[in-house]
Amino acid sequence: MHENKIGSRFVKWLLICVSILFIFLMLVLPLITVISEAFRSGWETYKQAVTDEYTIKAALLTVEATLFAVIINTIFGVFAAWTITKFHFKGKKLLTTLIDIPVTVSPIIAGLIYVLTFGRQSFLYPYLKELDIDIVFAIPGIVLATIFVTFPFISRELIPVLEAQGTDEEEAAALMGARGTTIFRRITFPHIKWAFLYGIVLCTARAMGEFGAVSVLSGHLRGKTNTLPLHVEILFNEFKYVPAFAVSSILVMMAIIILVIRSVVEYIGKKET
Amino acid sequence: MKKVNKRVIPGFGLSMGVTLSLLSIIVIIPLASLVVFTSQMSLSDILKTITRDRVVASFEVSFLTAFIASAINAVMGVVLAWVLVRYDFPFKRIVDGMIELPFALPTAVAGIALTSLTSDQGIIGKFFAKFGIKIAYTRIGIVVALVFIGIPFVVRSVQPVLEKLDGSFEEAAGVMGASRARIFRKVIFPEIRPAVFTGFGLALGRCIGEYGSVVFIAGNMPFKTEITPLIIMSELQEYDYASATAIALVMLLFAFLLLFAVNLIQSRNAKILKGG
Amino acid sequence: MYVELKNINKKFGDFKASDNVSFGIEKGKLIGLLGPSGSGKTTILRMIAGLENPDSGEIIIDGKVVNNIPASKREIGFVFQNYALFRYMTVYENIAFGLRVRKVDKKSTDKRVKELISLIGLEGLEKRYPSQLSGGQRQRVAFARALAPNPQLLLLDEPFAAIDAKVRKELRSWLKEMIEKLGVTSIFVTHDQDEAIEVADEIIITNKGRIEQIGTPLEIYQNPQTAFSASFFGLTSFLEDYQKFHTFEKIEGAETAIVRPEFVKVTKKTEFQKYKSSVSEGVVERVSFRGDNIELKVRTNETVLTAKRGLDEQSISVGEKVDVLIYRIFVTVKEKTYLLENQSLKENSIVI
Repeated sequence: MHENKIGSRFVKWLLICVSILFIFLMLVLPLITVISEAFRSGWETYKQAVTDEYTIKAALLTVEATLFAVIINTIFGVFAAWTITKFHFKGKKLLTTLIDIPVTVSPIIAGLIYVLTFGRQSFLYPYLKELDIDIVFAIPGIVLATIFVTFPFISRELIPVLEAQGTDEEEAAALMGARGTTIFRRITFPHIKWAFLYGIVLCTARAMGEFGAVSVLSGHLRGKTNTLPLHVEILFNEFKYVPAFAVSSILVMMAIIILVIRSVVEYIGKKET
Repeated sequence: MKKVNKRVIPGFGLSMGVTLSLLSIIVIIPLASLVVFTSQMSLSDILKTITRDRVVASFEVSFLTAFIASAINAVMGVVLAWVLVRYDFPFKRIVDGMIELPFALPTAVAGIALTSLTSDQGIIGKFFAKFGIKIAYTRIGIVVALVFIGIPFVVRSVQPVLEKLDGSFEEAAGVMGASRARIFRKVIFPEIRPAVFTGFGLALGRCIGEYGSVVFIAGNMPFKTEITPLIIMSELQEYDYASATAIALVMLLFAFLLLFAVNLIQSRNAKILKGG
Repeated sequence: MYVELKNINKKFGDFKASDNVSFGIEKGKLIGLLGPSGSGKTTILRMIAGLENPDSGEIIIDGKVVNNIPASKREIGFVFQNYALFRYMTVYENIAFGLRVRKVDKKSTDKRVKELISLIGLEGLEKRYPSQLSGGQRQRVAFARALAPNPQLLLLDEPFAAIDAKVRKELRSWLKEMIEKLGVTSIFVTHDQDEAIEVADEIIITNKGRIEQIGTPLEIYQNPQTAFSASFFGLTSFLEDYQKFHTFEKIEGAETAIVRPEFVKVTKKTEFQKYKSSVSEGVVERVSFRGDNIELKVRTNETVLTAKRGLDEQSISVGEKVDVLIYRIFVTVKEKTYLLENQSLKENSIVI
């Protein structure tokens, strides 16, 4: 028995050390690298890179695309989750499969299908041209691509919670004559508020950092169709390492903030149920 | 007799309408245009495109690196999940929170950070260079980037299963005198196996499609370190949509097969759990 | 008739939940819908409420066909099996909800809610959430919530299923009292015969989507019209061939015979038996203590019968040879049931 204990101690600390080493090498070290590289040439250079005109414009576009993605996906997520969990209808399985497609395809393919839909060879192109709407290599394309890659993020968080909750409470309320909005606000929403917040956090994180799909649809025009991740790419490829890491450091800080919010939301949500 | 509204809970029409409209605009119509575009291509053209040497080489690079990275993550994922569920140690909460970093950190940032770490000037790169191992701009570099991307999948899929796994299971086996290695192999592993495969499948899917973190570290040498998404990207930059689509179809096919396999594992597992 | 169902049919896929169901309920009655699970009783309740729609047939409430009236407009109180209390609302808010959505003014709402809270005896717990209540308290809240808007009809789906056995008995009589006091027409669903007998004014027995029998508990007990109703009450035993017990009259086309424990008298060989000539010999296979009686399984004429003995009688042990006397049996022919008396018992000595 005693020997067994020593053995188990040894295994325990071995596994813990392996885990911490792995996390340190794979996750912590890259973060440290970003920060240290960003400040390699001092605070002034950092400030300059971060407050650069193009950086600010890229940041604004990133915020814009993220905001659109969060709003559209929230609307979609709430309605889709409500439809799927509160009603019986034919083709439910197909619907849930379709909703999940965006996360299963490569971001490059996501970009590709938008190019095929709205690009020059599309049958929609002449009409769009007539209406003077540019989608591919323009801001609408970036926004659409961002919405696409984060499309199921909120509905995915809501559906399991609503499924577990069942439909009894809503039926009871409906029997008493409550309207749909009242039922949602007073009865359904309290159940999903944490899942909902959680979904928004995940959606924000992914939308902000999307690279592949946006890269396909962006014309890489500095100051016009450049998001922060794309701006990082351009700077890096021009061997402007310090500015590239400086801009990256903004994204790193955003990521850390998101992780903290995520943990807090998850913690409170767990405590409440 | 008038047809009545059969549903008790109100709002079916509206919510179904909003769901389908948004789904159509964002997903169905773009996917349909892919189908339409494909139908205009001839099968022989598609085959010719996807059997080009450079494309075939890219498939090999993509599949091989994604597979190795996901396998590493499957092992490390189980270890991490085990450590996080079973043991207490300093900074556990922070480690747990860090697992999600690859989801939160933009892939491009991860890409340049890993590249600078593993290049000849980077700390890790310098260390391995002494042994004549190059990481950045080789397939090893691609694997490193993909390991980073895939970390959360296996951990997050195994963790809840381990949490639910009743300790008395192992105690029962322990009382019967089974060694700990045996308990793990015979009692615990069968329980978490479906979750490991699910996480592995999801990570593999993500890794094969990954672009952002890989392009920086890969070096992108044709036949050696050029991944399939990059080929699609360069076809698109040359406005060769037909080739891009043909190659994309292969990737899509693989993605759907993988998704199907993962769903199969999950539903089979659900059945076993229910039956038991 | 206050509530009437006419030729209701309802299918879920291939499963026939309601097969030409028709019945009527008088105003002010407390009705028990009794049947095994899958017999379609809950479906009937949900159709009356408007939570499901029948494929064909009419549902009439208070003289109006309500098929096309949505559930929310039928003015029905419904108590769900798991109560479906609003988990994020307090007891007070739960009960007030139905009044609030009807835009009843604040003062009357408050008055009504307080009245109901005192009626269900939960004063002081207004601010609690459902998760902080016991099963019995939750049921009372669900009951009050359903009653708040003053419905003309109250429907209860397995109201006691989620409560542990001890509290259940108490709640049964409480609920019966409440409903009598309020005089609201009520229908409750149950699979528990004791519950139906104890609570209901009238019982509707359902089986395989059909109505087997409607009547007061006593009527159904004394006069079961179908084999199913006869067998559904009590621990019944079946006799494959009742002619082996030669003291019963022969009926053409008779199928199985049904025997209730109360119809059987088991006596020890040493005990006095008045009708010694008409007993059959049996062997005791099991003796179980049932709290207020002893339950016996006795094999006689190749069938096993269930019988009861009082605790004050002489004890019987397994393997003992005993005399078995059957007073009466139910014999089914097709769908009809006949009560046969043991012919050797001249005088009326039946105990129920």
